[in-house]
Amino acid sequence: MDIVLQQTINGLTIGGIYALIALGYTMVYGVLKLINFAHGDLCILGAYIGLTTIMAGVFSRLDQILLLGVAFLMAIIVVAIAGILLDQLAYKPLRRVHRLSAVVSALGASMLIENGIMLIWGPNVRVFPSGLLPNVSWEIGGASITLVQVMILIGASLLMALLYIFVHHTRLGTAIRASAIDQDAARLMGINVNRVIALVFIIGPALGAIGGLFIGLYYRQTFFTMGWSYGLFAFIAAIIGGIGNIPGAMLGGLLLGLVNAFGAGFISSAWQDAITFALLIIILLVRPSGLLGERIAEKV
Amino acid sequence: MKKIFAYSASATVVGLALGMSGAALAAEGGPLLFGLQFPITGDYAVEGQGVKNGLDLLIEQKNAEGGLLGREIKLIVCDDEGKASRATICARQLVNDSVIGVVGSYTSGASLAAGPTYSRANVIHSSDGTSDELTAKGWKNFFRNDPPNSAEAAFTGDYLVNTKGYKNIAIITDHSSYATDLADSVEKSIKTHNGHIASKEFINAGTQDYTAVLTKIKSVNPDVVYFSGYYTDGGLIKAQMDQLKMAADFVGGDTNQSEAFIQIAGASAPGSVVINVPPPESLPYENAARFLADYKEKYGSKPPSIYTLTNVDGLNSIFAAIEATQSTDFSAIEQWLHNMPAEFEGLTGKMKWDENGERAGSLMAAMEVQPDGSFKIVHQ
Repeated sequence: MDIVLQQTINGLTIGGIYALIALGYTMVYGVLKLINFAHGDLCILGAYIGLTTIMAGVFSRLDQILLLGVAFLMAIIVVAIAGILLDQLAYKPLRRVHRLSAVVSALGASMLIENGIMLIWGPNVRVFPSGLLPNVSWEIGGASITLVQVMILIGASLLMALLYIFVHHTRLGTAIRASAIDQDAARLMGINVNRVIALVFIIGPALGAIGGLFIGLYYRQTFFTMGWSYGLFAFIAAIIGGIGNIPGAMLGGLLLGLVNAFGAGFISSAWQDAITFALLIIILLVRPSGLLGERIAEKV
Repeated sequence: MKKIFAYSASATVVGLALGMSGAALAAEGGPLLFGLQFPITGDYAVEGQGVKNGLDLLIEQKNAEGGLLGREIKLIVCDDEGKASRATICARQLVNDSVIGVVGSYTSGASLAAGPTYSRANVIHSSDGTSDELTAKGWKNFFRNDPPNSAEAAFTGDYLVNTKGYKNIAIITDHSSYATDLADSVEKSIKTHNGHIASKEFINAGTQDYTAVLTKIKSVNPDVVYFSGYYTDGGLIKAQMDQLKMAADFVGGDTNQSEAFIQIAGASAPGSVVINVPPPESLPYENAARFLADYKEKYGSKPPSIYTLTNVDGLNSIFAAIEATQSTDFSAIEQWLHNMPAEFEGLTGKMKWDENGERAGSLMAAMEVQPDGSFKIVHQ
């Protein structure tokens, strides 16, 4: 029983991170019908910014918790700005043309950011200093859970809950949902769709930056190609949950994390990725629009 | 049409003339070209940059002494990112650049991919790749500059079963050529010593999260986890073993013996044991101490691992062959290296090769990471 519990904790932790990153994909897709391939790299940019802030002498006199808080803040701010710039430069000029152009632009932006990170921070693995968070852990029913894991689980759940409340119970959130359903109708209702898009490119990357910094703190390292691999898994999570659906992204992320952990733990570690992708294929065969995805009526 | 023909004809003639004069110049005494095919970027960039620094230093010192056969030595670097796909591209490039010898690559996978190209082009190929497959190909031009997996596996099996008396051994490996080869050899070695293997698991290198696999291993209560993969994952595995409160010891294969392993494992590093040739600092040779001091002076830090020195030895042995035979002809160099009159005094000890290019004699040791970040030899 304790193995199951341990694998569940492991799976939920990484699942929470996938969920945070998947939210960025799903929100952008919902409003723009565009897969923002550069999103994963923005998230890892958050990890790098956080690391740089922590290592900067300026803040080193701060107490640990405050330092972490500042690191998160800097990561969110810089990545949100990067997200807006990404939209303005790579996607906005292509809004009215064929969707494929925007996809290619997204891939190009992804490579640009990834290699930009490599040029700025170097091609080596960057290690987070140890001792940032106290090395505390607790035993629950035979499984152990560390402070970092608790932080990630609580942080991810809190953020997901906040986002859900924002999207479903505030006017701005309703504006986002309206733009996702039909941009032109939303415009006719008096919603400034351009502002909504900008907002989506702030919230999505901001959540992703927090996810990225969580990755950095959990594994204590970051590397410039991580954006591609985490982005890919988060993208899969978003699709499993139903792309464009916010609770779907959360569910998809957690599910993916659990499948990864249980697949490796109970079936075979060698086939870990194969199991994950097999799950994706099965879900798409049975429910093509994802677990929580809506069947959008075709306009005739 | 006539004008175009005239222009292109004259351009061709001029080009040919320049080319021929260029060739004539080179034949007379241009620089001697050597290649470095290594991961300068990518997962193993730390090792790549260390080797590049080491070779640059060696060449600088050699050129200051007058070069080789009175000619300047030049190094052409190609980044293979540790990947087989890029390795073949690099091999093509370096062969087209007419290098006499190549040092590369760090990973056995990349060395195996590039090997056939160098073999066909008669370019001397020195590599620290430890996969036993490399010397089984019958490549006349191949000279391994460190002990192979089989030597390490024999030592490891004996160490784990006999010296430490572990009763429940768990093996973790990744899918790379080097790691699977080493893990298989270690498994065989453990079995010959009648050791008990509790589980053998795989990880995907570079995916960072190994808690799932480690949790699975924890359930069989191993007293030691042996990891045959690279340091980038080894450090994380050790850290995650502590995170999961596993009571098992960690023993790593040779690539885990590096500064980067200690950095990545962080607070969990002390107590890990790594099996490899002794680290640069504990080499008892005077030339090694001198080279280390020069390296430190030029680059401000220690070399990342022993592989910097083994690869320097690899290139230096080619230099020695050229000087001894007073020629840059492939067969002369290759024959000399295979039938050396006396052992070559490398930084990592005396070097001699058998007809398959296997380095004879191995000085394996088990080293434990100390709290101060150094490696202390605990068994030889």
